[in-house]
Amino acid sequence: MVDLAIKKGLIRIPESPGEKPYLIGGRCSTCGYTCFPKKEVCVRCRRNDTMEEIKLGPYAILETFAVMQVGPPGFPPPYIMGYVRTKEGAVVFTLITGCEARDDALELGEEMELIIDKIREDPEGNYLIGWKFRPTGNKNTS
Amino acid sequence: MKKLAREICIIGVGMHKFGKFLDKDLKELTRVAVWNAINDAGIDANFIEAAYFANVLAGLITGQESIRGQVFLRDAGFERIPIVNVEGACASGTIALREASIAIMAGLYDVVLAVGAEKLYLDDTAKSIQAMSANTDVELMGGLGFQFTGSYAMSLRKYMKQYGWTQQHFAKVASKNKFNGSLNPYAQYRKPMSVEEILNSRLISWPLTLYMCSTMADGSAAAIVCAKDVVGKITNRPPITISACGLQSGEVTGEDDGQRRIARDSYEMAGCGPEDIEVAEVHDAMAPGEMFRIEKLGFCRAEEIARLIDEDYFTLKGELPVNPSGGLAARGHPIGATGLAQIAELVWQMRGEAGARQVAGRNSPFPKVGLAQNSGGYVEGAPAALSITILTK
Repeated sequence: MVDLAIKKGLIRIPESPGEKPYLIGGRCSTCGYTCFPKKEVCVRCRRNDTMEEIKLGPYAILETFAVMQVGPPGFPPPYIMGYVRTKEGAVVFTLITGCEARDDALELGEEMELIIDKIREDPEGNYLIGWKFRPTGNKNTS
Repeated sequence: MKKLAREICIIGVGMHKFGKFLDKDLKELTRVAVWNAINDAGIDANFIEAAYFANVLAGLITGQESIRGQVFLRDAGFERIPIVNVEGACASGTIALREASIAIMAGLYDVVLAVGAEKLYLDDTAKSIQAMSANTDVELMGGLGFQFTGSYAMSLRKYMKQYGWTQQHFAKVASKNKFNGSLNPYAQYRKPMSVEEILNSRLISWPLTLYMCSTMADGSAAAIVCAKDVVGKITNRPPITISACGLQSGEVTGEDDGQRRIARDSYEMAGCGPEDIEVAEVHDAMAPGEMFRIEKLGFCRAEEIARLIDEDYFTLKGELPVNPSGGLAARGHPIGATGLAQIAELVWQMRGEAGARQVAGRNSPFPKVGLAQNSGGYVEGAPAALSITILTK
């Protein structure tokens, strides 16, 4: 049983204590469009020579979320899925952890923090590792 | 937005009832809808010169990939003619209709079949549920626990905060659509349900309860598309004109996710506005989704929708009936067939053939302008495929 990143090139997994994880994103040097994951072409400008790699995270704002009371294989309910907007401006689909899976556990607009965590197990019993976000407790972000 | 290059219309529609049919396969489902449409058009089937076949998950669920239309339409009697396989998740049906229309506009054919068929019920439910995740970017969403119920719940949560929509309104919309579905012989769910029953059903993802949501379904729907200048030579049926067949992709770099943009462009293509629409079928895989579709289609402002629901504005007898068929949650949502089922409903309504759920036109016995809004899949934070069809009589 080993840890496997869900896909190469999406996240920086810390290798030493004190190092913070980040998402590997992209930003267009012309229009500023910021995205996750990194893209080679800017979707807004449709140019292929303007995208630069940037680090995204660890802080983000909770855009919206849903507490799922049913789940596909590998995702025992209840669990939370949501969208966060990183401080750099990229919108990220994510699982949310670090709080109870209840509708009153989170508020739209509150601050979230990136962590690297187990997403699910694959059929061979390996842990698939990816990004999740958890509330920092700071609800006053505006 | 350019105008359509040749007048095109629908001369026949047909469906196979939506529901759970463990003993029926896609060959049978396809054949029934196709021949219902042929018989409805009253044409010799040999007039059909090409076919566009919409299906989404047969490959993942049954292993039948690559030539799905050629396989399933063979049992409906089609060889020789070109068959094009079309997919765009839940929007596949209206994409097939649009491609059929384009082929006629290009002058290649005069009579073309568009058909959508889907079979989601198997003995292995987990396999069917897993296959649904393919309607997303599987690397970034589908494999990370994304579910479509959750995506509707996430959108509704934002509207609730911004506009004061409540779970009560959502249950009222679902109840309206369950009632409409109870009058539709092709619907999967035929039982009317009260607001209380809907609110008290099992929580799926707040604010959505079980009876607000579509479930799996099997079924099929088809339309015969024809050049208007040819109709009189092959049938006496009244043609319903396709005035707009918009198709766009969602976006994440603008203010809107693309839904308002395609609405604006489709109205322009048809030469009408939201105020002209007399009946609409909108994409509500979870019934409350009807509310944000209504807003994005420009039928009214988001602030007004809750009040209009309370005033029964969108019911069968209301000013603008929405989802007279029952919508996706009551009629059922066999994903590749859904778009063409919306089209079939509009055609029946506009001809005055919708039976107990018939709606009236504003200045005529039956509606003269109808709109179908169909969307499919998710990429990043937006619908993948967006489709709007406007029909006129």
